Amino acid sequence: MSVKLGLLALLAEEPMYGARLRAEFEARTGGTWPLNVGQVYTTLSRLERDGLVEAVGEDAEGRIAYRLTSTGRAEVAQWWLSPVDRDSTPRDELVIKLALAVTVEGVDVPRVVQTQRTATLKHLQDLTRLKHRATGGTDTDSYDIAWLLVLENLIYTAEAEVRWLDHVEARLAREATRPRRRAAGIPGGGSGAQGRTTTPGDTTNEKQQSSTRA
Amino acid sequence: MGTTPILRMAEVSRVHGSDTTAVRALAGVSMEVHAGELVAVMGPSGSGKSTLLNLAGGLDAPTAGQVFIEGESIGALKGDGLARLRRRRVGFVFQDFNLIPSLTAIENVALPLELDGQRVRRARRHAIARALVGDRKLVLADEPTGALDSHTGEEVLRVLRERCDAGAAGLLVTHEARHAAWADRVVFLRDGVVVDSTGSPATAETLLDPAV
Repeated sequence: MSVKLGLLALLAEEPMYGARLRAEFEARTGGTWPLNVGQVYTTLSRLERDGLVEAVGEDAEGRIAYRLTSTGRAEVAQWWLSPVDRDSTPRDELVIKLALAVTVEGVDVPRVVQTQRTATLKHLQDLTRLKHRATGGTDTDSYDIAWLLVLENLIYTAEAEVRWLDHVEARLAREATRPRRRAAGIPGGGSGAQGRTTTPGDTTNEKQQSSTRA
Repeated sequence: MGTTPILRMAEVSRVHGSDTTAVRALAGVSMEVHAGELVAVMGPSGSGKSTLLNLAGGLDAPTAGQVFIEGESIGALKGDGLARLRRRRVGFVFQDFNLIPSLTAIENVALPLELDGQRVRRARRHAIARALVGDRKLVLADEPTGALDSHTGEEVLRVLRERCDAGAAGLLVTHEARHAAWADRVVFLRDGVVVDSTGSPATAETLLDPAV
């Protein structure tokens, strides 16, 4: 998604000038996507050039408000009805890291998984605290619904990551009990993953002494 | 000083069977839960989560190590004393509320009905809280949200959280990260051993006190 579509969506409500657009955008997305004013004005001038918005004149303080043109209105309507394009999602570092961890020799993969899981759970704890606060603890009828939805999205994303890590761990434990096969695709590509696999039990025993005091 | 933990488990082990058939469900786990603290235990099935909870509540006895509730070793308690402890000081919450030993049969039947309602917010939560745990100091919950829909499940966790904020000590066993995240601390169990934790025990004071 671009800033462009976000601004167009807000302008569909009423004409606004740059600083107010920025404030509205941030408030309604729970502050997850901070914009700077320069970014907003650059985008507005591009939208004006492309015929999607037009200036409606200055107010007493010299601020120029913009409103949607009919082309702009059509663009917003189109956007609401189109699914979000997931192909352009940026690569996930954790996925790449683990894919490499299972193929590079000498990496304690279960430990990599556990370290990440603990960190993700800490993050999840923070988000849950924010959510508890956002829903007011007891007064559950007055809360900021946009902020809550953003928070819950982050919560579900973090949860999915933990579940995937659980799955990775279970699969590796299962794989460890089977004869190893080299990864396909790189014929003769070194010693591969053979003889490197650490079973979860090994690492737990090592850590047992230091971690009994939970 | 208030530094005595409500629950303390010292090098607790539980082995099922003997000799060649022995299965080690829990191997030398030590942990503390203080008043006001909610601790979640996560781990794959068979990691010893439920064993840990049963030992903490005196529903099962360790083969080695000791469990203390408010400083009192529960291994020393005989039948009556143990039953009294469970009834007065420990609250249990099991999956889907199928069975809550501290409630009467009628209360056990009534509770799911109570949970069915949609709008009964605050009053209902207080009712659940009272029914589930009363003013017991230690609350033990084993997958309390089970197959409940996500909204009702969250209500249950909110109650648990609020009980702990009000001074109870809580131990929550769950495989759901989203639920564990309600805790102050998440402890990971694998093969009967604590392998990691998202934080350290409640207070620095506790860590510095050599008696604990």
